[in-house]
Amino acid sequence: MAYEIVMPQLTDTMEVGKIVRWLKKEGDYVEVNEPIVEIESDKAIMEVPSLRAGYLTKILAEEGEEIPVGSVIAVISESKEEKLDEKLEEKQKPQEKEETQKELVLPQEEIKVEVKQLPPATASPAAKVLAKENGIDIKTLQEEGKLPIPAHEKDVKSYLINEKFQEDAINFLKDYQLNPEDVAKTFSEKEKITIEDVKNFVTINNIPLKKSITSIRKSLIKNLKTSLEIPVFHIFTELDFSNIPKESGFTITTWFIKILGDCIYQYEKLRTRTDEEFYYVYPTANISVAVDVSGELFAPVIKSIEKKSLTEISQELENIKQKAKEGRFSREDLEGATFSVSNLGMYNVTMFDAIIPPNCAGIVAVGKIVNNVAKLTFSFDHRILNGREGAEFINLLQSKFKDDDYIKSLMG
Amino acid sequence: MLYREALNLALDEMMEKDETVVVLGEDVGFYGGNYRVTEGLYAKYGERRVIDTPIAENSIVGTAIGMALGGLRPVAEIMTANFAMLAMDQIVNSMSKLRYMSGGKLLLPMVVRMPQGVVKQLASQHSQSLESMFACVPGIRVFTASDCITAYHGLKTAIMLDDPVIFLEHTLLYFEKFEFSKDSFYNPFKARVLKEGKDLTIFSYLKMVHDVMKVVTQIENTLNISVEVIDVGPLNPLDLETLTNSVKKTKRFVIVEENPKHGGFGANILSAVLEETFYNLDAPPLRIAGEDTPIPYNRKLELLAIPTPEKIYSKIVKWGKENGL
Amino acid sequence: MQQSLAEKFYYLMKLGRVFELRAKEEYMKGNIGGFLHLAIGEEAVHVGATVAFEKGDIFTHYRDHVYAIAKGIEPKYLMAELFGKKTGVAKGKGGSMHFFEPSLNFYGGNAIVGAHIPHAVGMAYARKYRGENTGVLVAFGDGATNSGNFYESLNLASLWKLPIVFLCENNLYAIGTRIDRASAITDIYLKAKPYMMAKQIDGMDVFEVYKAVMEAKEYIQEESKPYFIEALTYRYEPHSMSDTGNYRSARELEIAKSKDPIERLKKSGLLSESYIKYIDDLVEKEIEEAVEFAKNSPEPEETELYTDIYCEVCKNVIP
Repeated sequence: MAYEIVMPQLTDTMEVGKIVRWLKKEGDYVEVNEPIVEIESDKAIMEVPSLRAGYLTKILAEEGEEIPVGSVIAVISESKEEKLDEKLEEKQKPQEKEETQKELVLPQEEIKVEVKQLPPATASPAAKVLAKENGIDIKTLQEEGKLPIPAHEKDVKSYLINEKFQEDAINFLKDYQLNPEDVAKTFSEKEKITIEDVKNFVTINNIPLKKSITSIRKSLIKNLKTSLEIPVFHIFTELDFSNIPKESGFTITTWFIKILGDCIYQYEKLRTRTDEEFYYVYPTANISVAVDVSGELFAPVIKSIEKKSLTEISQELENIKQKAKEGRFSREDLEGATFSVSNLGMYNVTMFDAIIPPNCAGIVAVGKIVNNVAKLTFSFDHRILNGREGAEFINLLQSKFKDDDYIKSLMG
Repeated sequence: MLYREALNLALDEMMEKDETVVVLGEDVGFYGGNYRVTEGLYAKYGERRVIDTPIAENSIVGTAIGMALGGLRPVAEIMTANFAMLAMDQIVNSMSKLRYMSGGKLLLPMVVRMPQGVVKQLASQHSQSLESMFACVPGIRVFTASDCITAYHGLKTAIMLDDPVIFLEHTLLYFEKFEFSKDSFYNPFKARVLKEGKDLTIFSYLKMVHDVMKVVTQIENTLNISVEVIDVGPLNPLDLETLTNSVKKTKRFVIVEENPKHGGFGANILSAVLEETFYNLDAPPLRIAGEDTPIPYNRKLELLAIPTPEKIYSKIVKWGKENGL
Repeated sequence: MQQSLAEKFYYLMKLGRVFELRAKEEYMKGNIGGFLHLAIGEEAVHVGATVAFEKGDIFTHYRDHVYAIAKGIEPKYLMAELFGKKTGVAKGKGGSMHFFEPSLNFYGGNAIVGAHIPHAVGMAYARKYRGENTGVLVAFGDGATNSGNFYESLNLASLWKLPIVFLCENNLYAIGTRIDRASAITDIYLKAKPYMMAKQIDGMDVFEVYKAVMEAKEYIQEESKPYFIEALTYRYEPHSMSDTGNYRSARELEIAKSKDPIERLKKSGLLSESYIKYIDDLVEKEIEEAVEFAKNSPEPEETELYTDIYCEVCKNVIP
């Protein structure tokens, strides 16, 4: 039968012990009371004897290891080849005694609270002082249910505020995150403060309403600021759409995206990103389209435009519209563009310029089409293209718009 | 630094600086002190200044009184406050009264230091908290030390004072580490604000201070308040100014003490503070204390008999919710 | 007569020795907490005195395990008390230092050094007052003989002529302080000589202890005057489980062990080999059962914290 030797409690305050030196090795025979190991407690180094005779068949703790009191450190068996209990193998990991647990376990369930049955007029001294200062009678108010029993200072304060202000005035103050007590001080002569009074207060003191910024918006702001670091130049031009077939069944936007995409596919610089160490030229033309979703700006991406037909692009634009309505774009939807398009034509804007989004080589801002012509403002990342190259690209685009055969091929 | 090391440092520095400082007690010299507080002093200063006494507490304090009258500054160690009961006559009838009865002619610049409190299963005669017994006798100062800074500065000041001082330590704190730097400053006549807050003040001393700090954040989160924690420090004299100023600000206070509730010292604190702050209060005060029983040997029962962090948390939360928080 | 005594001594000393060793083991495993003061080496005094004193009252200090066993308390209840279980002699509320059993006239078990000596004096007074003649024995260590309690008790016992035996176990050390550093008079019986009959004996010889205590008992019962015995003995273990014992030399320990009372008894020739073997096995089994009993006993309920503080029955006395 195996006898476990545990890390002994050598002093009444000891919680862990360090194995300093084994005086016997595995396989040795040990007598009763023969010292087998040196252990350092919190007070001194002591020799610890074996309290049984037998063979030291297993040593489970190394010299230098710190073991909690009570954990098994060795095994004494009657015979040399004693088979070890499987349980012992598991116990090799030092176990934490519940006492040495440093983590506090605090009660998780609700702590039961006893409700005191007290008569009206019961209130804390602080509450009574406040009530007296303001000329209100706690007992009556408690009987009328307007103050709790017992009443505390904050209950009296709360009552006084509610009396002083109209309800809508208090809510207004809450929106402005104003302290009713401070506001009340400026209206000391008034009996009841109305919402008009509070609105006046806000106007006179020019107090702003604090509105929180959504995380999407914060993210956008961060990106825009990063975009500021991009050295930008603009090219202003016009685009004639008169060559586009009138009854094509496709929107102008669809045509524009397709032709722009084909040009980008041809002109590698517009498929490029830089980290100022290297240029990364992407293999396909991905364009993002600026879309408004309940006031937040998103830029979903139409991918591999050179491979797609007008029909397919039209479908994707529809999907984008749908997703915008539902407000759900996935991360994939929003990644991968190297060029961007922003269109304010539907808002009667003739010309504007847009900020280049992160990782794009440029963006084009499209204005309203007047007599088949729209004003375009191109913004380019000067680290990737220069003015001549930008102009070259624009010429390519314009030539494509005049190329009848090309346009016909898209239709067919 | 360990709490006991801070005490050791204070003793060493005072003995080095002042030839009249001597230490006496059971096993303080050759053995190094039952809790190692006087370790190394015997080797450094010799048996003339670090005196091993027989087991005779009455005479330990009695002879220390004599030494003090004779111009020395004795620091007597009573192994634990439980054994100080054997010396109560000397403490109460002589140490505290000789100066008064002599019209101020006799001075007793002495310290009697002792640890107290529950350790672990040492049974009822070795586990008491007896501060009430000392704090209620006029003529002696009673200081407490809850960490290294209070231990070091408190003990040094106690030795330098010309009044007799009972210096209370806690056995479990001896083996704990606390922050310490020689540049720290502490006046043992003042209570310390360990954490500032504005809705509730918790008063405590000795080991209970740390039990409170272990759960103060959870209390704040559960009740949605901010809590001020004060180490009361000296029990005689009480630093009433600090204590009452805090309650005037927060309007609510709780006292956490290890001794049994009935007759326990917290009642003194409560009444002294209450008298000054009654009209400021927004809730009845609360005392969390030990049970009115001797301390049993069985570990589970032993933990039921004294406040623990879990109990402190539950009781304060319950009381808070029942009283308007 | 000698043989049956020797057999009894062997059984009780062996039982005490094995109990102590097992208590030490269980302490190191964490089943026993707090303070543990072992009487290994002092069995001759504890057993010899208790057997000699028979039915009389015995008051001891905190190194009380073997006294309790010799007085007749079953080891299993003592072990259960050490384990803090509700089946222990004090329902788990006292622990190692506080064994009591008034039905056997055993008054424990006290932790304040010397404080129980006046208690014993008072008990002797009460017994004498009621005409009961069995006598009181109070055991204490060398460390206690320097306290006020001790000298006051010597004075009162002889002033009031009380039938009490003072038994001092001089094991030379009070925790870490050797007797010559704490006491001006190192032959302790000389402190008592001015007050009463006093002698010094070899505390490692169980027969000598027995004889001395028997004589003392007869003396106090006849004369109704106190008697002082100083028994020179030695504890093999340090003061308690928290003590390292570094203040004693290995040589001193060796010398003491060479006088081991149990070995001496075995070599005296009064016991047969078969008896020794029989007792060794019996004791092994008894202690093993005691530990099993302790392990399997339940912990006290939480309500136990509040019981035994006041006398419930006494409430009825006041109308």
